[in-house]
Amino acid sequence: MIKRVLPWLALGILVAGVLVVVLWPGDATTPAERAHSIAAGLKCQECQGLSVADSNASTSSAIRADIKRRIAAGESDGEIRQYFVDKYGETILLEPQSTGISLIVWVLPVVVIAAGALGIVFALARNRREPRLHATDADEALVGREREREASE
Amino acid sequence: MKHPARWIALAVAVVVVALGVVLALNVGTDPVAASKESRLIGKPAPSFDLPQLSGERVSSDDLAGKTVIVNFWNEWCVPCIAELPALKKFWAAHANDGDVAMVGITHASNLSEKQLARYVERAGLDWTIALDPKSRAALDFAVRGQPETFVISPSGEVVGYQLSETRAQDLEAMLAAARGLG
Repeated sequence: MIKRVLPWLALGILVAGVLVVVLWPGDATTPAERAHSIAAGLKCQECQGLSVADSNASTSSAIRADIKRRIAAGESDGEIRQYFVDKYGETILLEPQSTGISLIVWVLPVVVIAAGALGIVFALARNRREPRLHATDADEALVGREREREASE
Repeated sequence: MKHPARWIALAVAVVVVALGVVLALNVGTDPVAASKESRLIGKPAPSFDLPQLSGERVSSDDLAGKTVIVNFWNEWCVPCIAELPALKKFWAAHANDGDVAMVGITHASNLSEKQLARYVERAGLDWTIALDPKSRAALDFAVRGQPETFVISPSGEVVGYQLSETRAQDLEAMLAAARGLG
């Protein structure tokens, strides 16, 4: 029993470990790190393909200054992001939000991967349940005759 | 569960169909179109208090009770230059209207104040030109690019918005709407 469970347990621990490492939120602790982290998630409004953190556009500078001011005023990262979403719309976010309809983007791949993993587990289990075929005396005799024939040739 | 693989396939099919339905219902929410709209429409206009090229200041309080055209522009922005004739035509028709004001706000200009003043004089821009050196007003108006035009009704509500080059007839239509609301 333990022999059968052990590999699955090890696999579960490995998957959980990878998920924790990948999904664990970054530890931006100082105000400057927090400001950079928030700005890196917002899209520059006057340029293409750049975040507010990477852009030299004047509105990006103003947004960066506003983020710092809001952090100093005690607003949380979520509140600051929501402020800019309310102001510009969701298009300001470089990554879709994990609420509302945008949640599908995050949930669907997990659902599909989980369904695939379940499918593999069930397929392996079914394979194990099916009776193994054993050679009958007639089979053994047939194989023996063939071996003798090959040896004599 | 007799045939687990079939149930899984059915579950995946249900999720895919649900996704298709959700996406079909959201076809109208075009992110590109949404990025060309202002969330300020129908809301109180942000207040501003900015220095002018003349050295005086212009504030939203000074203009309260008027229809105010706020145009974010810059001397290096090609569409801004292209729309100047339309702005001039519009302002020529309304400069003497006591209930209309027009404020051009420049932010991130490449010119010094003196150079900008010369540019404004040479270009014949005789409406109020204000400076937004720290882009505070641009941020308050959630400006996305330039040119960008907002129309504020006499009651202080944003009633018109145009991202990119505007035309005199667009301004006239927005002014009429603002006066109707005023």
